[in-house]
Amino acid sequence: MPRASWPAMAMVLLALVATGCVRGCNSSRPPIHLNPNMDNQPRYDPQQASDFFYDGKGMRAPVEGTVARGELQQDRPFHTGTDSAGNFLTEIPPLTPAQLARGPERYAIYCEPCHDPRGLGQGILYEYGGVPTASFHDEQRSAYPPGRLFDVITNGSGLMQGYRYPIPPADRWAIVAHVQQLQRARQDRAHATSAPPEGTR
Amino acid sequence: MKHEHGYWRSLEQLSGSSHESVDEFAAGVAEPPQRVSRREMLSLLGASMSFAGLVACRKPAEAIVPFVQAPENVIPGVPKYYATNMPFGLDAYGLLVESHEGRPTKIEGNRLHPSTHGASNSWIQASILDLYDPDRSQTVRHLGQTGDWQAFVTAWTEMESEYLASGGSGLALLGESFASPTLARLGQAFSARFPHAIRATYEPVGDDTSFAGMELAAGEPYRVMLRLENAEVVLSLDSDFLGVEADAVRNTRGFAAARDPERGSMNRLWVVESNYSLTGANADHRLRLAAADVPAFVSMLTAELRKRAGDLTLPAASSRPLPQVDARWLAALVDDLTHHRGRSLIVAGRRQPAAVHAAVYALNRALGNVGASVSYYEPLDAALPRGLEPLVRAMRDGQVSTLVILGCDPVSNAPADLAFGEAMEQVPVTVHLSSYLDATSVKASWHLNRAHYLESWGDVRAVDGTLGVTQPLIAPLFDGKSPVDVLGLLATGTDAPAYERVRETWKTFLDDGSFEKEWRRVLHDGLLDGSAVVAASPALTIDRVSDALNDAIAVPSDGYEVVFQASPALFDGRFANNGWLQEVPDALTKLSWDNPALISPHAADALGISNGEMVKITVGQNTIALPVWIMPGLAERSIVLYLGHRPAGGVGRIASRSGFDVYPLRTTRAMGHAGGATLEATGTNYALATTQEHGTMNEPNLAPWQKGKPERARDLVRQGTFEQFRRDPEFARRELAFPERSLWQERRFEQSPQWGMTIDLNACVGCNACVVACQSENNIPIVGKQQVGEGREMHWLRVDRYFTGAADDAAVVFQAVPCMQCENAPCEQVCPVGATVHDEQGLNAMVYNRCIGTRYCSNNCPYKVRRFNYFNFTKDTPESLALAYNPDVTVRSRGVMEKCTYCVQRINEGLIEAKLSGRPLSDGEIRTACQQACPATAIEFGDIRDDSSRVSRSKLNPRNYVLLEELFTKPRTTFLAKLRNPHPELAQADLDPTPSEGHH
Repeated sequence: MPRASWPAMAMVLLALVATGCVRGCNSSRPPIHLNPNMDNQPRYDPQQASDFFYDGKGMRAPVEGTVARGELQQDRPFHTGTDSAGNFLTEIPPLTPAQLARGPERYAIYCEPCHDPRGLGQGILYEYGGVPTASFHDEQRSAYPPGRLFDVITNGSGLMQGYRYPIPPADRWAIVAHVQQLQRARQDRAHATSAPPEGTR
Repeated sequence: MKHEHGYWRSLEQLSGSSHESVDEFAAGVAEPPQRVSRREMLSLLGASMSFAGLVACRKPAEAIVPFVQAPENVIPGVPKYYATNMPFGLDAYGLLVESHEGRPTKIEGNRLHPSTHGASNSWIQASILDLYDPDRSQTVRHLGQTGDWQAFVTAWTEMESEYLASGGSGLALLGESFASPTLARLGQAFSARFPHAIRATYEPVGDDTSFAGMELAAGEPYRVMLRLENAEVVLSLDSDFLGVEADAVRNTRGFAAARDPERGSMNRLWVVESNYSLTGANADHRLRLAAADVPAFVSMLTAELRKRAGDLTLPAASSRPLPQVDARWLAALVDDLTHHRGRSLIVAGRRQPAAVHAAVYALNRALGNVGASVSYYEPLDAALPRGLEPLVRAMRDGQVSTLVILGCDPVSNAPADLAFGEAMEQVPVTVHLSSYLDATSVKASWHLNRAHYLESWGDVRAVDGTLGVTQPLIAPLFDGKSPVDVLGLLATGTDAPAYERVRETWKTFLDDGSFEKEWRRVLHDGLLDGSAVVAASPALTIDRVSDALNDAIAVPSDGYEVVFQASPALFDGRFANNGWLQEVPDALTKLSWDNPALISPHAADALGISNGEMVKITVGQNTIALPVWIMPGLAERSIVLYLGHRPAGGVGRIASRSGFDVYPLRTTRAMGHAGGATLEATGTNYALATTQEHGTMNEPNLAPWQKGKPERARDLVRQGTFEQFRRDPEFARRELAFPERSLWQERRFEQSPQWGMTIDLNACVGCNACVVACQSENNIPIVGKQQVGEGREMHWLRVDRYFTGAADDAAVVFQAVPCMQCENAPCEQVCPVGATVHDEQGLNAMVYNRCIGTRYCSNNCPYKVRRFNYFNFTKDTPESLALAYNPDVTVRSRGVMEKCTYCVQRINEGLIEAKLSGRPLSDGEIRTACQQACPATAIEFGDIRDDSSRVSRSKLNPRNYVLLEELFTKPRTTFLAKLRNPHPELAQADLDPTPSEGHH
């Protein structure tokens, strides 16, 4: 080993001793950071806390009623599920086959964990935690117009969070279409035979 | 740059009294301000070093705070853009504001809007800082105690019943100028509700005289809209239409469009002015004339026009001939005007009396310019500035029991002879809506804290009638109220959201059936398409114009003339607490933070005073004391005073640091200029901070083998005449003094894109929009007056101002100098830690956390574009100002070098976006902050490997030249030479940068 590196090694050793910690010791305190190096920026990064705002969030919700560039969204029924009078749409707005095909897939990602593949509200969350989850097939919900289903996905209902952020409107309508298909399938089956076939619940 | 070449940076340099070159690092510049020596500093540091200190250096525990109810379409880290409109007096600027997670961080012009066409100016850029200003008033105050809005609503409801019964007698409303359908509607509702109430509008700097002039000539107060893009010959009479006058962004765009030599023709600008304005700096012919002599000049001009073209309907006025006006000069001007009928334009400035505005209208009409290069519009939904004097009289007479003031600060900026503050004491109840706890607010019984335009709903009308909505970017930070809120309460008696009020107004503009659809379109675009109205065709009563002009011709007065000029930085004082605008060096004087009285070299000689000496200026009974600054090219007996500094106004910590309030000299009869002023030296001195000699690019001594080469090879600024350009398009090219070979192994840049930039000195008007835009985009700190004085200003982009010619009548050239992004960068070769390196796209990148602060790079930079953080300028950033930082740019700490990176964060954002959508990057998709802000489109930026890109084509321009080419740094930023277009009869020496006889 070249002689010149001895001082460096001594420094490393000294630093280890001085900080009182080598690998493996537990501490609840944040790690040591000797050179600040502009790592901690005074600017506001996404999802950063802020002492300035009363709710402690650096991120602000857009002011209600404002329209950003690229979000013209003049077709209000498509984006809200209601017509201009505020009534729920009774028809799903026209979707392309490609958009419709995303319905089952999005349903599997976002809805299935609670609502289960059949829409009976007996997903993982129900099985493990007994969390009451709505079934699409009860009397009340099987009568929901598509606009209402869209509204529930968008804004949530009861314990359910709104999914407006992760699911774009077209996908929401595709999910609505899929849910309606599940409902129809269930009803058809109920008409066809009073007892469910073996292997189904 | 030595003055032997004809260019000089300061009077000291011209007279040879300053040292040959001003060092970038002056002696002692590295020492801390208290003059603790470096050795002492080290021992102090040693004493405080301990292991305990080290253990405390832990990473801060940071919480991640997501949205609880995440809004649709907000992706953390991805900015959104909102179209909105900035009301500015009667003007409206259409804007596009960048928002990071619901916080506005950067303002750009809205490309769809006719007022900006996507560009902006320094006020627009800096207005975002006002939003986050921690010194803004944050609460309602009632009789000095903290109150709230609800308490005011209750108080007003009690007061209101009395005024409703009396029809509003005793009630008065004073407001700012606006052009807003909602405010106009509410104003009418207010007047209908309180028919006897007094209403007045006041703007310290407004177009009062222009409206009065149009009323005089045409019977109606029309608004003037310049169409400079259609004007081949422009005559400015004391008007700074490229700088502080109305609609300067559009004016600059139009002016630059008509000045593009590649079109085959170029406009010619004649300027007659007392001060040295931005417009004057861009003049082809500039006549220095006292502001009071302009009416006489107009009469001389009309007499000459009458001689040349008898068929014109011109106002007749007789005046003594002005000795300053050369007969040949006037003849050439008249020749130009008569040969460009319908393609010429005469503009009168705000300082000039109504008679001049009326005469200018008559002249434009006679020359066939109306409808071509100038249009007149009926002021729609507008409050024109008028009625302050009757209001103050009524207040004095005790006829006013409640006065509501919406905005403005009349106690500090109303004419001094009105003594508004005293009159206010006669009014039992006063209400003031204001952003700051200013002089008026302190006197008022109610102070209502005002919301910033980025926090409130409102609407505007541009001069041509184009309608737009002001949509908020953020909820009010301090729960402020807008004029719509307050006037709405007064006019209806109910407290409704401004959003509802604006929408109610807009029901008249949009179809009932599709209101929601169209409303969303208006908010999305920032304007209502097709809402521009047809220009008016005003009448003309020529006799009244002649009479008024005759009356306006001043008898020559003794003493000096004081000229009041809206500050190019702080305007009328509304930006007084804006650090960016306080620090940006003035385009002409290069002074930052202060507003000394500008005097001509002639006056300085006569009075025996020098820069920084305190003087007392007396006009009538009023006296103020302030330092002087000698400004080449001023009219000999004019003293120019910048309005807008409010050190004692209680406006805030920034405003109170420096400057002098000149409003006490301004009176009702002398709002623009005042004669008979006296100057008295006090013998004391005041420190002024100017950057005029900072960043001086040294000319190295010629090596033996370079001797005898063309001396002009080193010209930093290259300019010629349009005539010269037509004869020899390559006039700006110089022969290189030595063969093109580098001392270093040259790097090859073979991958696309390779970034490059051109700056067209011919288009650049020197307005500083780019400087402030850069500051906003790149989190550049302000450093304060003392640090500027020591040469530590941080602006990555500086605008150099060079004078040519003699001191008395100097001409000016501007040169914006950002980092040149040299391919053979001298800075990189001397950095011991590799903190500045080249990337594969040709950017000279800066790795901040590698930098150890040797400053070798800056020392070795021939262009002097690197900036060093001598202190941790951002350490004490107030929480609210931190919200204004661009999250995409690192905030630099002490001891770190920084510089322009061609907005590398924008480049990467554009590249990522193109890659994600799987398409090649298109030309013009990535724009640097300076390029985007430039109202003159002087800056081109793009991929120089792409032959079809705008920047590549710009670099093929024969005017393209390389700054300090002989150093063989191969900069990526190049300049296009400036052209002047003097009248052939007057093609004299003052524009030619060849050595003049006077200097050696």
